[in-house]
Amino acid sequence: MRRIPVALWLAAPGLLLLLALMGGPVVLLVLESLKPFVPGSIRPGEGVTLGNYTELLAPAYLFYFQETFRFGIIVAGLSVLFGAPLAFAAVRSRSALLRKLLLALLVGLLVMSLIARLYAIEMAWGSLGPLAPLGALTGIAPRSPRYAEVQVAIGLLHFTMPVVALMLVGTFRALPPRLEEAAASLGARRSDVVVSVVLPLAAPGLVSAFLVALAMCISNFVVPLILGRGIVTLATSLMYTRFADIGNYPSGAAIGVVMLVLAFAVVYGLSALARRVLPGARL
Amino acid sequence: MSITLGRRELVGALGAAMAAAGGGPVFAQPRGEQLLVVMWGAQWIEVCRPIGEEWMRRTGDRIQWELHAGGAMAVVGRLRPIWPRIQQNLIAAWDPVFDAMMEAGWMEPVDEDEMPALKEIPDIFFKKDAQGRKMTVPLSTAGAFWGYRTDLVDRPVESVEQLLEPRFRGKLCVPVPVNLSGLLLVSLAMQRGGNERNIEPGWQLLTELARRGNIGRVVANNSEMISAMSAGDLSVAFWNTGGWQAVRDRFPSRLLTRLTDNKGFLFNEGFAVMKGENRARIAAAKRFANHFATAEINTRYNMPLGSGPTNRSATASPAIADIFYRPDELDRFAYIPDYAYMATQVDGWTRRWEQEITPLIRRA
Repeated sequence: MRRIPVALWLAAPGLLLLLALMGGPVVLLVLESLKPFVPGSIRPGEGVTLGNYTELLAPAYLFYFQETFRFGIIVAGLSVLFGAPLAFAAVRSRSALLRKLLLALLVGLLVMSLIARLYAIEMAWGSLGPLAPLGALTGIAPRSPRYAEVQVAIGLLHFTMPVVALMLVGTFRALPPRLEEAAASLGARRSDVVVSVVLPLAAPGLVSAFLVALAMCISNFVVPLILGRGIVTLATSLMYTRFADIGNYPSGAAIGVVMLVLAFAVVYGLSALARRVLPGARL
Repeated sequence: MSITLGRRELVGALGAAMAAAGGGPVFAQPRGEQLLVVMWGAQWIEVCRPIGEEWMRRTGDRIQWELHAGGAMAVVGRLRPIWPRIQQNLIAAWDPVFDAMMEAGWMEPVDEDEMPALKEIPDIFFKKDAQGRKMTVPLSTAGAFWGYRTDLVDRPVESVEQLLEPRFRGKLCVPVPVNLSGLLLVSLAMQRGGNERNIEPGWQLLTELARRGNIGRVVANNSEMISAMSAGDLSVAFWNTGGWQAVRDRFPSRLLTRLTDNKGFLFNEGFAVMKGENRARIAAAKRFANHFATAEINTRYNMPLGSGPTNRSATASPAIADIFYRPDELDRFAYIPDYAYMATQVDGWTRRWEQEITPLIRRA
């Protein structure tokens, strides 16, 4: 008799939990998305329809999906751009105090309530906040819709950057410092070491952190709700309106299913792209 | 010396001690019923909490408050998938939400035998089912109006048409269509000769406002409206009396309740007693709702909300005299739309808002 591999035994409880906690609700979501909605009635309609999906092909809804991924990609990119140097300094700095302070800052940001952080951003950078004149230096009027976009981006960055930086702390710690020392001993400058040795070796971690940040952004609801002034509407806000405000569960479920498919496609596509660009990397 | 006590002796000794102490129970059983009551946030919950605490001390019932997330219609969407296994016993709502819950058969009928305070509420305020039974506990007559902060506007606003002027760029605070069941759209439609059944003129005016960049903020609940209008960068809003009252308490404001080319909207707010299997709990919910309908509590409830009491013997706040209408003014300045019809349109209006208005506001 063939023996079941140990890895499968180890993975089984987690897999079962995932199936029960995630698979079941997703299947229910798909089934709900195929039901017709009767306006003004709490009772669900009868039969099966694809209408909840076809309406999402309207240009306006494509705009919302595009906006959601645009915010996600920009903020995930900024998270990696700002988070990687922080993480590198937290790992490689010669000063033990600086390393501890940076780690404490990142963990502190992570454990601080997101709601508190968002209202702090609103108070500081809002159109009448003390930092609004700084925001206005970018040429964007504080009362304009574009300013609300900037605020949402700042809020999302607050949400993702500590996670990205802490993920990258693990990545940079896993890199053997001797490789950097070897490069330095051969005459490479510090900046050359980082660009030629550290970044290529850390690329898989950077890509993973980017994808995690992207997933966090496109599924976030509370940031556009608090900082978007009711003007910046992302796919999550549309879903919430359908489910909670109108009680149109089928339409909300259809948006959820479409977002799930799009998210998988984008993550898979970006992973494939990264594999092509970084052939040696395991992604 | 040691004393040996068996189980029976110990229980007996405890019993004797209790009897000597006056017979109080060892473990106090809570008396009364546990009720879950859904209420709006902001000043609604502020006024309700002390009333609930007094009630708990008096009756032993335990009141747990839950806040509406967004508009009251949201609770309907939230309860639909779990009905009838809901925990909520009383839900504070208003006309369109009552219509939706009544259509689904979620509400318990109420009568004057169980709830004597209902005798003091005029019959016209009640929602009734097909059999003519009273289904709601009306607590307030409220309204939705345009208004503005007089300290932030250079010249008085006398018509909604003026809101198209460049001085209002980014200054308007409006609700999404799902809030107030689309009264914003009805108001704009009436400005251009339409109404809730002829809503197209409202969309045209809304499109103009959005295209000109005059809509600065879109709000979804009372707290958002109050904080938006308190910040100082927005000067004009369309919202309900409760939100306006909070703004008026802090800033000089004027409500446009008597426009010559538009109207204010009136509606009733109150409690719905939810159906359930636990009859004792339903009875307790009715007693609590009845308490709110009594003249004294009805006065206390409505004063800070800026809404009119429904109990004939209750006293209305002098501060709301300019908001509400004398009987001879009703036809000229007030309008009661067909909320049941509007409830069937909100889904479509919300989609149209998402497809046409939000992109315009973003681009403005």
